[in-house]
Amino acid sequence: MMLHINFKSGVPVYLQIVQQVKAAAAAGTLRPGEALPSVRALAEELRINRNTAARAYAELESEGVVENRHGAGCYLRAQTASPLRHAVRSERLASELDAVIVQAHHLQIPDAELLSLLRERLAAFRGRQSGNDRTP
Amino acid sequence: MIPPAIQIQDLVHRYGRHEALHGLSLTVEPGCCYGFFGRNGAGKTTTLKCLLNLLRPQAGSVRVFGLDPRRDEAEVKSRLAYVPDFVAFYPWMSVRETLDYQASFRPRWNRDIEARLLARFQLDPAAPTSGLSKGQRTQLALAGAIASEPELLVLDEPTSGLDPLVRREFIRTIIGAYQEVAPGRRTVFVSTHLIAEFEGLIDRFTILDQGRAVLTADADEARTKFRRFRARFEGDPPPASAFSGAKSFRREGRDLELVVNGDGDAILERLRSHRPASIETESLSLEEIVVATVGDPVV
Repeated sequence: MMLHINFKSGVPVYLQIVQQVKAAAAAGTLRPGEALPSVRALAEELRINRNTAARAYAELESEGVVENRHGAGCYLRAQTASPLRHAVRSERLASELDAVIVQAHHLQIPDAELLSLLRERLAAFRGRQSGNDRTP
Repeated sequence: MIPPAIQIQDLVHRYGRHEALHGLSLTVEPGCCYGFFGRNGAGKTTTLKCLLNLLRPQAGSVRVFGLDPRRDEAEVKSRLAYVPDFVAFYPWMSVRETLDYQASFRPRWNRDIEARLLARFQLDPAAPTSGLSKGQRTQLALAGAIASEPELLVLDEPTSGLDPLVRREFIRTIIGAYQEVAPGRRTVFVSTHLIAEFEGLIDRFTILDQGRAVLTADADEARTKFRRFRARFEGDPPPASAFSGAKSFRREGRDLELVVNGDGDAILERLRSHRPASIETESLSLEEIVVATVGDPVV
Protein backbone atom coordinates (compact mmCIF):
# COMPACT_ATOMS: atom_id res chain seq x y z
CA MET A 1 0.00 0.00 0.00
CA MET A 2 1.51 3.28 -1.09
CA LEU A 3 0.46 6.28 0.93
CA HIS A 4 1.33 9.83 0.07
CA ILE A 5 1.03 12.88 2.29
CA ASN A 6 0.32 16.24 0.71
CA PHE A 7 0.93 19.05 3.19
CA LYS A 8 -0.71 21.56 0.85
CA SER A 9 -4.08 19.84 0.67
CA GLY A 10 -5.35 21.48 3.86
CA VAL A 11 -6.49 18.05 5.09
CA PRO A 12 -5.02 17.06 8.48
CA VAL A 13 -2.25 14.48 8.03
CA TYR A 14 -3.96 11.72 10.04
CA LEU A 15 -7.12 12.18 7.96
CA GLN A 16 -5.17 11.82 4.71
CA ILE A 17 -4.02 8.40 5.91
CA VAL A 18 -7.57 7.46 6.92
CA GLN A 19 -8.93 8.50 3.53
CA GLN A 20 -6.20 6.71 1.57
CA VAL A 21 -6.61 3.45 3.48
CA LYS A 22 -10.37 3.61 2.91
CA ALA A 23 -9.84 4.34 -0.78
CA ALA A 24 -7.43 1.40 -1.09
CA ALA A 25 -9.94 -0.85 0.69
CA ALA A 26 -12.82 0.32 -1.53
CA ALA A 27 -10.77 -0.20 -4.68
CA GLY A 28 -9.63 -3.65 -3.60
CA THR A 29 -5.90 -2.83 -3.58
CA LEU A 30 -6.09 -3.62 0.13
CA ARG A 31 -8.04 -6.78 0.97
CA PRO A 32 -9.86 -7.95 4.08
CA GLY A 33 -7.46 -9.73 6.40
CA GLU A 34 -4.46 -8.01 4.90
CA ALA A 35 -1.97 -6.47 7.37
CA LEU A 36 -1.23 -2.76 7.47
CA PRO A 37 2.28 -1.54 8.32
CA SER A 38 3.00 -1.02 12.02
CA VAL A 39 2.64 2.49 13.44
CA ARG A 40 6.42 2.79 13.59
CA ALA A 41 6.97 1.55 10.03
CA LEU A 42 4.26 3.82 8.67
CA ALA A 43 5.60 6.85 10.57
CA GLU A 44 9.18 6.21 9.46
CA GLU A 45 8.17 5.61 5.86
CA LEU A 46 6.12 8.81 5.61
CA ARG A 47 8.44 10.72 7.97
CA ILE A 48 5.55 11.75 10.15
CA ASN A 49 5.06 11.87 13.88
CA ARG A 50 4.19 8.52 15.46
CA ASN A 51 1.28 10.12 17.26
CA THR A 52 -0.16 11.07 13.87
CA ALA A 53 0.15 7.52 12.53
CA ALA A 54 -1.34 6.11 15.74
CA ARG A 55 -4.23 8.57 15.55
CA ALA A 56 -4.99 7.52 11.96
CA TYR A 57 -5.13 3.84 12.96
CA ALA A 58 -7.30 4.62 15.98
CA GLU A 59 -9.73 6.47 13.73
CA LEU A 60 -9.78 3.61 11.20
CA GLU A 61 -10.43 1.18 14.01
CA SER A 62 -13.27 3.23 15.48
CA GLU A 63 -14.87 3.39 12.04
CA GLY A 64 -14.60 -0.39 11.73
CA VAL A 65 -12.26 -0.28 8.74
CA VAL A 66 -9.39 -2.05 10.48
CA GLU A 67 -9.03 -4.17 13.56
CA ASN A 68 -6.15 -4.10 15.97
CA ARG A 69 -5.11 -7.62 16.99
CA HIS A 70 -3.26 -7.07 20.19
CA GLY A 71 0.46 -7.29 19.68
CA ALA A 72 -0.01 -8.68 16.17
CA GLY A 73 -0.68 -5.46 14.27
CA CYS A 74 -3.49 -3.93 12.35
CA TYR A 75 -5.61 -5.73 9.74
CA LEU A 76 -8.23 -4.68 7.23
CA ARG A 77 -11.71 -5.88 8.16
CA ALA A 78 -14.40 -7.08 5.79
CA GLN A 79 -16.27 -4.10 4.35
CA THR A 80 -19.63 -5.01 5.84
CA ALA A 81 -18.28 -4.27 9.27
CA SER A 82 -18.94 -0.52 9.44
CA PRO A 83 -20.36 0.20 12.89
CA LEU A 84 -21.97 3.39 11.61
CA ARG A 85 -25.68 3.23 10.97
CA HIS A 86 -26.74 3.44 7.35
CA ALA A 87 -28.37 6.85 7.89
CA VAL A 88 -25.14 8.28 9.31
CA ARG A 89 -23.12 6.89 6.45
CA SER A 90 -25.39 8.35 3.78
CA GLU A 91 -25.47 11.68 5.62
CA ARG A 92 -21.65 11.83 5.49
CA LEU A 93 -21.68 11.10 1.81
CA ALA A 94 -24.38 13.71 1.19
CA SER A 95 -22.22 16.48 2.63
CA GLU A 96 -19.31 15.43 0.40
CA LEU A 97 -21.64 15.52 -2.60
CA ASP A 98 -22.89 18.98 -1.61
CA ALA A 99 -19.33 20.27 -1.87
CA VAL A 100 -19.04 18.79 -5.36
CA ILE A 101 -22.36 20.39 -6.38
CA VAL A 102 -21.20 23.81 -5.15
CA GLN A 103 -17.95 23.41 -7.05
CA ALA A 104 -19.85 22.42 -10.22
CA HIS A 105 -22.02 25.52 -9.84
CA HIS A 106 -18.95 27.79 -9.68
CA LEU A 107 -17.37 26.05 -12.63
CA GLN A 108 -20.69 26.53 -14.49
CA ILE A 109 -21.12 22.83 -15.25
CA PRO A 110 -24.77 21.99 -16.05
CA ASP A 111 -26.58 19.35 -13.95
CA ALA A 112 -26.82 16.85 -16.79
CA GLU A 113 -23.08 17.02 -17.37
CA LEU A 114 -22.38 16.59 -13.66
CA LEU A 115 -24.56 13.47 -13.55
CA SER A 116 -22.94 11.92 -16.59
CA LEU A 117 -19.52 12.72 -15.12
CA LEU A 118 -20.48 10.93 -11.91
CA ARG A 119 -21.61 7.87 -13.91
CA GLU A 120 -18.36 7.94 -15.89
CA ARG A 121 -16.20 8.11 -12.71
CA LEU A 122 -18.22 5.34 -11.12
CA ALA A 123 -17.68 3.13 -14.17
CA ALA A 124 -13.93 3.88 -14.13
CA PHE A 125 -13.81 2.99 -10.42
CA ARG A 126 -15.67 -0.30 -10.95
CA GLY A 127 -13.30 -1.08 -13.82
CA ARG A 128 -10.27 -0.62 -11.57
CA GLN A 129 -11.92 -2.66 -8.85
CA SER A 130 -12.55 -5.66 -11.07
CA GLY A 131 -9.02 -5.29 -12.48
CA ASN A 132 -7.69 -5.65 -8.94
CA ASP A 133 -9.89 -8.65 -8.25
CA ARG A 134 -8.30 -10.57 -11.06
CA THR A 135 -4.73 -10.14 -9.81
CA PRO A 136 -3.75 -13.02 -7.52
CA MET B 1 0.64 15.93 36.71
CA ILE B 2 3.69 16.05 34.45
CA PRO B 3 4.99 19.61 34.08
CA PRO B 4 5.64 20.99 30.57
CA ALA B 5 8.93 19.86 29.01
CA ILE B 6 9.73 23.52 28.37
CA GLN B 7 8.02 26.61 29.71
CA ILE B 8 9.35 30.03 28.77
CA GLN B 9 7.65 33.14 30.13
CA ASP B 10 8.31 36.76 29.19
CA LEU B 11 11.94 36.03 28.41
CA VAL B 12 14.11 39.11 27.80
CA HIS B 13 17.74 39.12 26.81
CA ARG B 14 19.95 41.98 25.63
CA TYR B 15 23.44 41.89 24.19
CA GLY B 16 24.71 45.34 25.20
CA ARG B 17 22.16 47.70 23.75
CA HIS B 18 20.79 45.21 21.28
CA GLU B 19 17.74 43.42 22.57
CA ALA B 20 17.64 39.86 21.24
CA LEU B 21 14.50 38.64 23.03
CA HIS B 22 11.61 40.93 23.95
CA GLY B 23 9.31 38.97 26.18
CA LEU B 24 9.13 35.54 24.55
CA SER B 25 6.64 33.01 25.96
CA LEU B 26 6.04 29.44 24.85
CA THR B 27 5.10 26.06 26.32
CA VAL B 28 6.14 22.66 25.01
CA GLU B 29 4.03 19.77 26.35
CA PRO B 30 5.67 16.40 27.02
CA GLY B 31 5.64 14.05 24.03
CA CYS B 32 5.22 16.92 21.59
CA CYS B 33 7.44 17.60 18.61
CA TYR B 34 7.81 21.36 18.62
CA GLY B 35 9.24 23.47 15.79
CA PHE B 36 10.99 26.76 16.46
CA PHE B 37 11.23 28.82 13.28
CA GLY B 38 12.41 32.26 12.23
CA ARG B 39 15.00 34.14 10.24
CA ASN B 40 18.65 34.35 11.22
CA GLY B 41 18.97 36.78 14.10
CA ALA B 42 15.36 36.30 15.22
CA GLY B 43 16.57 35.09 18.63
CA LYS B 44 16.37 31.30 18.25
CA THR B 45 19.92 30.54 19.35
CA THR B 46 19.67 33.00 22.26
CA THR B 47 16.56 31.14 23.43
CA LEU B 48 18.30 27.76 23.20
CA LYS B 49 21.28 29.11 25.15
CA CYS B 50 18.91 30.21 27.92
CA LEU B 51 17.38 26.70 27.99
CA LEU B 52 20.81 25.10 28.28
CA ASN B 53 22.03 27.59 30.90
CA LEU B 54 24.71 28.95 28.58
CA LEU B 55 23.20 32.42 28.94
CA ARG B 56 21.52 34.11 31.83
CA PRO B 57 18.32 35.89 30.83
CA GLN B 58 17.87 39.43 32.16
CA ALA B 59 14.16 39.00 32.78
CA GLY B 60 11.47 36.37 32.55
CA SER B 61 11.69 32.72 33.40
CA VAL B 62 12.75 29.46 31.79
CA ARG B 63 11.66 26.09 33.16
CA VAL B 64 12.68 22.70 31.80
CA PHE B 65 10.69 19.75 33.27
CA GLY B 66 9.43 22.35 35.76
CA LEU B 67 13.01 22.96 36.95
CA ASP B 68 15.22 26.01 36.71
CA PRO B 69 18.13 25.23 34.32
CA ARG B 70 20.37 27.54 36.39
CA ARG B 71 19.59 26.24 39.88
CA ASP B 72 19.00 22.61 38.90
CA GLU B 73 21.54 22.47 36.09
CA ALA B 74 22.76 18.93 36.79
CA GLU B 75 19.30 17.38 36.82
CA VAL B 76 18.07 19.29 33.78
CA LYS B 77 21.17 18.33 31.78
CA SER B 78 20.89 14.68 32.80
CA ARG B 79 17.37 14.50 31.34
CA LEU B 80 17.91 16.31 28.03
CA ALA B 81 20.22 15.86 25.06
CA TYR B 82 21.35 18.52 22.64
CA VAL B 83 22.41 18.10 19.03
CA PRO B 84 23.87 21.32 17.61
CA ASP B 85 24.58 22.45 14.08
CA PHE B 86 28.31 21.90 14.38
CA VAL B 87 29.40 19.04 16.58
CA ALA B 88 32.84 19.10 18.19
CA PHE B 89 34.47 15.92 19.51
CA TYR B 90 37.92 15.36 21.00
CA PRO B 91 39.91 14.59 17.85
CA TRP B 92 42.17 12.06 19.58
CA MET B 93 39.20 9.86 20.56
CA SER B 94 37.68 7.09 18.48
CA VAL B 95 33.94 6.72 17.93
CA ARG B 96 33.88 4.07 20.69
CA GLU B 97 35.84 6.25 23.15
CA THR B 98 33.65 9.27 22.39
CA LEU B 99 30.46 7.35 23.20
CA ASP B 100 31.99 5.87 26.37
CA TYR B 101 33.12 9.32 27.43
CA GLN B 102 29.59 10.72 26.88
CA ALA B 103 28.02 7.72 28.65
CA SER B 104 30.18 8.40 31.72
CA PHE B 105 28.24 11.65 32.32
CA ARG B 106 24.78 10.16 31.84
CA PRO B 107 22.55 8.45 34.36
CA ARG B 108 21.14 6.20 31.61
CA TRP B 109 22.75 4.69 28.55
CA ASN B 110 21.10 2.15 26.27
CA ARG B 111 23.81 -0.08 24.74
CA ASP B 112 21.30 -1.81 22.46
CA ILE B 113 20.18 1.42 20.87
CA GLU B 114 23.77 2.57 20.61
CA ALA B 115 24.79 -0.63 18.78
CA ARG B 116 21.74 -0.49 16.47
CA LEU B 117 22.41 3.12 15.52
CA LEU B 118 26.14 2.57 14.92
CA ALA B 119 25.20 -0.27 12.56
CA ARG B 120 22.46 1.75 10.89
CA PHE B 121 24.81 4.68 10.28
CA GLN B 122 27.70 2.34 9.37
CA LEU B 123 29.96 4.07 11.86
CA ASP B 124 33.17 2.15 12.65
CA PRO B 125 33.70 2.18 16.44
CA ALA B 126 37.47 2.18 15.93
CA ALA B 127 37.50 5.19 13.60
CA PRO B 128 39.04 8.38 15.02
CA THR B 129 36.49 11.22 15.22
CA SER B 130 38.97 13.55 13.49
CA GLY B 131 38.37 11.68 10.24
CA LEU B 132 34.55 11.82 10.29
CA SER B 133 32.61 13.75 7.66
CA LYS B 134 30.03 16.36 8.71
CA GLY B 135 27.23 13.85 8.17
CA GLN B 136 28.98 11.19 10.25
CA ARG B 137 29.66 13.66 13.06
CA THR B 138 25.97 14.53 13.19
CA GLN B 139 25.08 10.82 13.16
CA LEU B 140 27.50 10.14 16.01
CA ALA B 141 26.05 13.03 17.99
CA LEU B 142 22.52 11.74 17.35
CA ALA B 143 23.45 8.16 18.31
CA GLY B 144 24.89 9.46 21.60
CA ALA B 145 21.89 11.69 22.21
CA ILE B 146 19.37 8.89 21.67
CA ALA B 147 21.37 6.23 23.56
CA SER B 148 21.16 8.46 26.64
CA GLU B 149 17.33 8.12 26.48
CA PRO B 150 16.58 11.77 27.23
CA GLU B 151 13.08 13.04 27.90
CA LEU B 152 13.84 16.09 25.79
CA LEU B 153 15.85 16.23 22.58
CA VAL B 154 16.94 19.76 21.66
CA LEU B 155 18.02 20.11 18.04
CA ASP B 156 19.63 23.28 16.65
CA GLU B 157 19.83 23.24 12.84
CA PRO B 158 20.74 19.56 13.07
CA THR B 159 20.51 18.76 9.37
CA SER B 160 21.99 21.85 7.74
CA GLY B 161 24.83 21.05 5.40
CA LEU B 162 23.94 17.35 5.21
CA ASP B 163 23.07 15.52 2.02
CA PRO B 164 19.37 14.66 1.47
CA LEU B 165 19.77 10.96 2.25
CA VAL B 166 21.50 11.63 5.56
CA ARG B 167 18.78 14.17 6.39
CA ARG B 168 16.03 11.61 5.74
CA GLU B 169 17.84 9.00 7.82
CA PHE B 170 18.22 11.54 10.62
CA ILE B 171 14.46 12.21 10.72
CA ARG B 172 13.62 8.49 10.51
CA THR B 173 15.96 7.82 13.42
CA ILE B 174 14.13 10.33 15.58
CA ILE B 175 10.77 8.77 14.67
CA GLY B 176 11.94 5.19 14.99
CA ALA B 177 14.62 4.97 17.64
CA TYR B 178 13.96 8.02 19.81
CA GLN B 179 10.17 7.74 19.95
CA GLU B 180 10.28 3.94 20.35
CA VAL B 181 9.87 3.84 24.12
CA ALA B 182 7.33 5.94 26.06
CA PRO B 183 6.50 8.28 23.15
CA GLY B 184 4.29 10.31 25.51
CA ARG B 185 7.41 11.44 27.36
CA ARG B 186 9.79 11.82 24.44
CA THR B 187 9.76 15.48 23.52
CA VAL B 188 11.54 17.09 20.59
CA PHE B 189 12.34 20.81 20.33
CA VAL B 190 13.83 21.63 16.96
CA SER B 191 15.10 24.95 15.68
CA THR B 192 15.63 24.80 11.93
CA HIS B 193 15.45 26.51 8.56
CA LEU B 194 14.93 23.18 6.79
CA ILE B 195 11.27 23.21 7.67
CA ALA B 196 10.03 21.00 4.83
CA GLU B 197 12.30 18.23 6.05
CA PHE B 198 10.69 18.22 9.50
CA GLU B 199 7.16 19.08 8.37
CA GLY B 200 5.56 15.69 9.12
CA LEU B 201 7.18 15.51 12.52
CA ILE B 202 6.03 18.89 13.81
CA ASP B 203 2.90 18.87 16.02
CA ARG B 204 3.11 22.47 17.05
CA PHE B 205 5.39 25.41 16.37
CA THR B 206 6.33 28.99 17.18
CA ILE B 207 7.56 31.51 14.64
CA LEU B 208 9.95 33.97 16.19
CA ASP B 209 10.59 37.38 14.67
CA GLN B 210 12.76 40.10 16.18
CA GLY B 211 12.71 38.45 19.57
CA ARG B 212 8.95 37.95 19.75
CA ALA B 213 6.66 35.00 19.10
CA VAL B 214 4.59 36.15 16.13
CA LEU B 215 2.69 32.90 15.61
CA THR B 216 2.18 29.80 17.74
CA ALA B 217 -0.13 27.11 16.35
CA ASP B 218 -0.75 23.42 15.78
CA ALA B 219 0.66 22.41 12.41
CA ASP B 220 -2.58 20.95 11.01
CA GLU B 221 -4.59 23.92 12.23
CA ALA B 222 -2.14 26.40 10.65
CA ARG B 223 -2.24 24.54 7.31
CA THR B 224 -6.04 24.68 7.38
CA LYS B 225 -6.06 28.44 8.03
CA PHE B 226 -3.31 29.63 5.71
CA ARG B 227 -4.50 29.23 2.14
CA ARG B 228 -3.58 30.54 -1.26
CA PHE B 229 -6.15 31.29 -3.96
CA ARG B 230 -5.17 31.76 -7.58
CA ALA B 231 -7.75 33.11 -9.95
CA ARG B 232 -7.68 33.98 -13.62
CA PHE B 233 -10.11 36.51 -15.07
CA GLU B 234 -11.43 37.20 -18.56
CA GLY B 235 -10.69 40.90 -18.09
CA ASP B 236 -8.93 42.95 -15.40
CA PRO B 237 -8.91 41.31 -11.97
CA PRO B 238 -10.66 43.21 -9.15
CA PRO B 239 -8.49 45.57 -7.06
CA ALA B 240 -6.89 44.80 -3.70
CA SER B 241 -9.55 46.90 -1.94
CA ALA B 242 -12.10 44.17 -2.78
CA PHE B 243 -10.25 41.73 -0.52
CA SER B 244 -9.70 43.43 2.80
CA GLY B 245 -8.62 40.82 5.33
CA ALA B 246 -6.34 38.96 2.92
CA LYS B 247 -2.77 38.61 4.14
CA SER B 248 -1.24 39.28 0.77
CA PHE B 249 -2.47 40.30 -2.63
CA ARG B 250 -0.73 40.06 -5.99
CA ARG B 251 -2.02 40.99 -9.43
CA GLU B 252 -0.29 40.18 -12.65
CA GLY B 253 -2.10 40.68 -15.93
CA ARG B 254 -5.31 38.66 -15.70
CA ASP B 255 -4.10 36.64 -12.71
CA LEU B 256 -4.75 37.29 -9.07
CA GLU B 257 -3.12 35.61 -6.10
CA LEU B 258 -4.34 35.94 -2.52
CA VAL B 259 -2.95 34.50 0.69
CA VAL B 260 -5.38 34.32 3.58
CA ASN B 261 -5.07 33.45 7.23
CA GLY B 262 -8.36 32.51 8.81
CA ASP B 263 -11.56 33.79 7.18
CA GLY B 264 -10.64 32.10 3.89
CA ASP B 265 -14.16 30.92 3.01
CA ALA B 266 -15.58 34.44 3.14
CA ILE B 267 -12.77 35.80 0.98
CA LEU B 268 -13.16 32.88 -1.44
CA GLU B 269 -16.87 33.69 -1.78
CA ARG B 270 -15.99 37.32 -2.54
CA LEU B 271 -13.47 36.15 -5.12
CA ARG B 272 -16.10 33.91 -6.75
CA SER B 273 -18.60 36.79 -6.86
CA HIS B 274 -16.24 38.52 -9.32
CA ARG B 275 -16.81 35.57 -11.67
CA PRO B 276 -13.26 34.46 -12.44
CA ALA B 277 -12.70 32.05 -15.33
CA SER B 278 -10.89 29.67 -12.98
CA ILE B 279 -9.91 29.35 -9.33
CA GLU B 280 -7.31 27.14 -7.70
CA THR B 281 -6.97 26.83 -3.96
CA GLU B 282 -4.27 25.20 -1.85
CA SER B 283 -3.03 25.27 1.72
CA LEU B 284 0.37 26.66 2.61
CA SER B 285 3.11 24.36 3.82
CA LEU B 286 4.80 25.25 7.11
CA GLU B 287 7.73 26.78 5.24
CA GLU B 288 5.37 28.97 3.22
CA ILE B 289 3.55 29.94 6.41
CA VAL B 290 6.86 31.11 7.89
CA VAL B 291 7.60 33.15 4.76
CA ALA B 292 4.07 34.62 4.76
CA THR B 293 4.41 35.50 8.45
CA VAL B 294 7.88 37.02 8.65
CA GLY B 295 8.66 37.76 4.99
CA ASP B 296 8.39 41.18 3.43
CA PRO B 297 4.80 42.29 3.32
CA VAL B 298 3.48 42.15 -0.24
CA VAL B 299 1.53 45.28 -1.10
